[in-house]
Amino acid sequence: MRLEKCWFCSSTIYPGHGIQFVRNDAKIFRFCRSKCHKNFKMKRNPRKVKWTKAYRRLHGKDMTQDATFEFERKRNRPERYDRNLTENTLKAIKVIDKVRSRREETHIKNRMKGKKSKITKEALKELDQQIHMIKAPGAMVKDASATTSAKVTVKVQHDTDENRMEE
Amino acid sequence: MRTNLKVVDNSGAKRVMCIQALKGKKGARLGDTIVASVKEAQPGGKVKKGQVVYGVVVRAAMQKGRSDGSLVKFDDNAVVLVNKQGEPIGTRVFGPVPHELRKKKHVKILSLAQHIA
Repeated sequence: MRLEKCWFCSSTIYPGHGIQFVRNDAKIFRFCRSKCHKNFKMKRNPRKVKWTKAYRRLHGKDMTQDATFEFERKRNRPERYDRNLTENTLKAIKVIDKVRSRREETHIKNRMKGKKSKITKEALKELDQQIHMIKAPGAMVKDASATTSAKVTVKVQHDTDENRMEE
Repeated sequence: MRTNLKVVDNSGAKRVMCIQALKGKKGARLGDTIVASVKEAQPGGKVKKGQVVYGVVVRAAMQKGRSDGSLVKFDDNAVVLVNKQGEPIGTRVFGPVPHELRKKKHVKILSLAQHIA
């Protein structure tokens, strides 16, 4: 029994699943589901389709280099059965899986590091420039404490500056 | 019926038309034997144009279920000509053929094939 990888999305194909297409030059394309097969028939490039593993690897979304990937390899020689070895392997699978998921988590965390400050920065900027969309400039002058937060007081000063210029 | 199939051996025929599937009411599928009429043939081959021949479908664009439940499909519809006893007429087979032919007892075709998919 062999677990193959989908040609399009690189997910694992378990026995009995999917379809395989044999081109006339004997290259075999395996697909995990009809979605991948259809995308292949549409001649889409998996590196350009956002939900595939190839895209995510190429664009730094997923962890690419890690020692835990080294364990998963295609072996053409069957291993001779050894009870101890099997037991240890089954134990190791769990440990490796845990390690990998932890590392993937930290990878995503690192990737998302600057995200929150960036979002707040952009939101602040929008509020600064588009405040007239929610409150008329006159109302802001009349009621300085329209909004309580510190950042809005900055805006009020900004508005008063503008008003002064008009005067 | 009336399907044009490529002949992928050196029997001399180039294109045959299916005139009867020997099994199944829905027509021939991958690995089935058909009766065909030779539509195009190379001069000086073992098979002449207009002859009625037997053939084994070695490639089909229609997907076929495998024993494990997955499916397999090929690029084109191709046939290898055989005699009534099921022995290939040609001495070579071009392109990939499915391993299901072993189940259909066409081991000779499998051993002649370049690639087995």
